[in-house]
Amino acid sequence: MNLDSIPEAASRQDQLYQEAAASYGTALGRLARGYEADPDRRRDLLQEIHLALWQSLAGFDARCSLRTWLYRVAHNVATSHVIREHRLNSRTMVGIEALETLPAKNDERDRDSSRESNIDRRHALAKLLLLIHQLKPLDRQIMLSYLEDMDAASIAEITGISPGNVATKIHRIKNVLTTKFHQGEDHGK
Amino acid sequence: MENETGGDVKNLWQNQQAEPIQISLAELHQKAQKLEQRVRWRNLGEYAASAIVIACFGFYIWKFPAPMIRFGCMLVIAGVLFVVYQLHKKGAARTVPAEMAFRTCLDFHRQQLERQRDLLRGVWTWYLLPFVPGIAVFLIGLFRWTMTLPHAPAHARVIIITFALTAAACALVFFAIGKLNQWAAQKLQREIDALNEMEKES
Repeated sequence: MNLDSIPEAASRQDQLYQEAAASYGTALGRLARGYEADPDRRRDLLQEIHLALWQSLAGFDARCSLRTWLYRVAHNVATSHVIREHRLNSRTMVGIEALETLPAKNDERDRDSSRESNIDRRHALAKLLLLIHQLKPLDRQIMLSYLEDMDAASIAEITGISPGNVATKIHRIKNVLTTKFHQGEDHGK
Repeated sequence: MENETGGDVKNLWQNQQAEPIQISLAELHQKAQKLEQRVRWRNLGEYAASAIVIACFGFYIWKFPAPMIRFGCMLVIAGVLFVVYQLHKKGAARTVPAEMAFRTCLDFHRQQLERQRDLLRGVWTWYLLPFVPGIAVFLIGLFRWTMTLPHAPAHARVIIITFALTAAACALVFFAIGKLNQWAAQKLQREIDALNEMEKES
């Protein structure tokens, strides 16, 4: 292929995409996992995210960082997917506040697994994903961004929720995680 | 303790086994082309359906001598052209992927749902109403012309009932389409309300 024939804008778009995919490709895989449990549909969702990201980068004007740009596109595509699936399956989604009050499931399994080993990573990850998949889109965006180690200001920039409210949500997320993930240990002691 | 758990869970999340996805630029270009092709085929389908309707009513203009029927046919054709133009215009207003990055997640979804809701709510004005004058004039013209035929007086009752039933069926179909779209718009409105509620809660 003759590279000289590619218009400058298109080559910039490709270059930006490659940069984004190299830096955040794995994070996008995790993000898709937070939105879709079925492996085949998850692969489709991830491809849809990559395609939307590449297409969107034709209009990248550096009004925000590449990271914010990428996460906005990814969350918007993934949330559209969740809403579409939700409309088909009528699955109930709840806010993070509701999870604070929900009783923990699989208590027996938690106790047994924590007796055997404190770090049953696969089981813990499955439990975490179960929590995430119950969340409404906005709360899910905050939870996933928190798990990616973003601060409140960055999360606010992506989601459009005020930093103060994001901080409150994060506090609640931490409470939920403490309740759900330390319960097993406490029982075991 | 809270921080400890948060850190542990973040660690667990970030170090999970990744499912690598390799999409080359060539594949992306191909996928984008396929997507464009799909949209183009869908549009072509809409245009083909409109062409068939226009051809049918064009044939009636040629076939029927009564000026009122011809005028009705012209109105129907004008209605079809108006709807095709509206479909083309509304289709062109689809979201550009870059818009996903310009808007926050909250704004983006509200806007998407509002756009769909407005499209459904306005179905009467841009999709159904344009056909009403044409079909009404066509049916009245056809009825009047039928009544002038030599054997018509002997079968007047049957002719009147047939035309009344046809008009009622047309009205029923229009009403059903309008009502279904209205229900769908109400459903979307509930989703928008839920989003607004979510924003307030947050």
